[in-house]
Amino acid sequence: MANIKFSNVGKSFGDNKVINNFNFLGKDDEFLVLVGPSGCGKSTLLRMIAGLEQIDEGEIQINNEVINEMHPSKRHTAMVFQSYALYPHMNVYDNMSFGLKIEKKTKEEIHTKVLSAAKTLKIEDLLERRPKELSGGQRQRVAIGRAITRNPKIFLFDEPLSNLDAALRAEMRVEISRLHQKIKTNMIYVTHDQVEAMTLADRIVILNNGNIEQVGTPNEIYTNPDNIFVAQFIGTPKMNIFKINSENIISNNRINILGNSISFSGINLDKKNYYLGIRPEHLTFNGNQEFNFTPKIELIENLGNEKIVYIVSENNQLCAKISSDIQINNTLGFNLKNVLLFDENGLRIR
Amino acid sequence: MKIKNLLIYSIISSFFLLSLISIWKILVTLQGLKLENFNTQIIFILGFLFSFLNIFIRERLNFIVKFLFFAFIFVYVDGFLISKLPIWYNIGIVFILYFFASKTKKYNYKFLKNEHSTQLILFDFLTLFGIVLFSFVILFPFYMMLVTSFKTQIALLINPLDFSIDFNQNIKDLFKSYFVIFTSYNFGKYILTSSIVSLGTVFITLIFAIPAAYAIARLNFFGKTFMSTSILIIYMFPAIVLVIPLYTVFSQLGLRNSISGLLIVYTATTLPVAIYMLQGYFKSIPKELEEAAILDKLSWFGIIIKIILPLSIPAISSVALYVFMIAWNEFLFSLMFLDNPNSFTLSRAIQYLSGDAETPRQYLMAGSVIVTLPVLFIFVYFEKYLVSGLTAGSVKG
Repeated sequence: MANIKFSNVGKSFGDNKVINNFNFLGKDDEFLVLVGPSGCGKSTLLRMIAGLEQIDEGEIQINNEVINEMHPSKRHTAMVFQSYALYPHMNVYDNMSFGLKIEKKTKEEIHTKVLSAAKTLKIEDLLERRPKELSGGQRQRVAIGRAITRNPKIFLFDEPLSNLDAALRAEMRVEISRLHQKIKTNMIYVTHDQVEAMTLADRIVILNNGNIEQVGTPNEIYTNPDNIFVAQFIGTPKMNIFKINSENIISNNRINILGNSISFSGINLDKKNYYLGIRPEHLTFNGNQEFNFTPKIELIENLGNEKIVYIVSENNQLCAKISSDIQINNTLGFNLKNVLLFDENGLRIR
Repeated sequence: MKIKNLLIYSIISSFFLLSLISIWKILVTLQGLKLENFNTQIIFILGFLFSFLNIFIRERLNFIVKFLFFAFIFVYVDGFLISKLPIWYNIGIVFILYFFASKTKKYNYKFLKNEHSTQLILFDFLTLFGIVLFSFVILFPFYMMLVTSFKTQIALLINPLDFSIDFNQNIKDLFKSYFVIFTSYNFGKYILTSSIVSLGTVFITLIFAIPAAYAIARLNFFGKTFMSTSILIIYMFPAIVLVIPLYTVFSQLGLRNSISGLLIVYTATTLPVAIYMLQGYFKSIPKELEEAAILDKLSWFGIIIKIILPLSIPAISSVALYVFMIAWNEFLFSLMFLDNPNSFTLSRAIQYLSGDAETPRQYLMAGSVIVTLPVLFIFVYFEKYLVSGLTAGSVKG
């Protein structure tokens, strides 16, 4: 059980400001995922919590205790690295017990802790092996096991699955989810993979250029994005965005797009430019939607269970994701509830 | 099959055989055998014929049978028919032929069918030529050194160009030079001094180099880039430039003729390269390992001892080996700083003996063998570490 609090945290490397005025309040025992494009500062944030990077501005608190000046080993955190960072010259048992030995714990205590962690991760028969004799997935388990033996208040994962192949990644994702359900400890997980973020998180923090774009449950982030960045970042293929200018605006609540005139209630369109977004999975071919248009199909990608249809329409490149058993015809449609409107700065208009 | 491939293969392989046998014949002449001629044409023709026939008999006859048949004809024609040579000469020839036959084993009908087999054959034999010639050129001085050390003063005076070893004398006479240099010339003490100086240099260099290399590889401090780039600058000064000022300084400090003086100079000269080699290796150790160790509550000192050192054993052992060889073989500084025979190192002692006209040459050579052997053995034994250590820094491993 731990809660983490960031107040006005900032970090720069030279002139490059990586994290800017970061404020956030964590909840007890939650699985928090930091996600964003590369270079957005998510790993730096994690390393600041672990104590591997200096905190330049502001403060981070764990259980209301400021950790800025605290030695990394006293912060009650444990980190799982992307490259696993197992000690190559020690076997799995020694890797997992290394920290405990340095803390001068008794042999029996070390033994029970290592064995119970090994049991949780099903690596009991690997304890005598060296890291080089393990597969990628096994190494990852050992790295997680090493973190568990430290008995931390907060687990920190730094893109732990990105070195694994797709099948193993899916398997380990489930394992990590299961682990969190079992040991109920705070976990902070950094990834650039939105699938990992959506499947693992209790709450997602979407970062861009060192700023928080949105915080919310996976469902909130998907259905109710705050801005274009979040809307496009979550979901594959990414959301279709139409640029709306004075030609498309018919009146102060009507927009003409794709041959349809869409009216919004409770919105006053008094600016020049807007953006309109529709997710590819909300474009369908069944013809009984509120708005329909005739698509000019450019390319169809068949993924087996679904098809991705690329469409050119009024200088816009669109794409639609449909189930592969649906017949492709001449009418593509969408519903008003799935249309998202953003202002000229990319902020959502609700 | 391509006729061209067959011809090229036969010609190259017979040249190879010719060069092997010529080397053997040179060695044999040195051993005192009188050869009237080298029989070059006959060897070449036989070699050519056998390589040629090899291809056609290949599948039908067993390798051993074929080799024995080949060897019998060769020895008969070359040894008995033409030159009438002793048995041990012919045994040498048979060994050479066996080596040759096993090297040409893989070239068969099928292999020669390949378009590019000429290139493969050419490269195979060029490598073999290189190995054989190089080992001959490099080993010959050693051979001379060894042979001279086994001779008596009289034998050397009678025929200085006789490179044979007289195995008929008893063991005590054979190794007489070695006994003498230990009893009358005090070589035991020189070996001890050299060992103390070399091992001491290795030890001190490593003690300084490991933390320094770690600091340069990992820590940020003022003047780091300047320091890391200027490490090798000391190598831009020829040692002879440093010797004279050092001589005056050492004279005033009373460090001449002392082991500690040599240790200081040797450590100073080997330290830069040691630091340079080690920091390259340290940089290749993933930083995450150290970060994991920090989270495991290890101090900086603990990280070096428990993480960095065990992981850099190949680099450290190659540095140790390198430093040992430099210190063991070092001559210039020991020549300048040591003039009391009580504190001589081996190389200085050899020089001292050779400067003395009274010292017989065979003792000098026995001394040289003593100097060379330890380094040779160490090098041969640790060669694998040395190579992996030298390259390990460049590639992440």
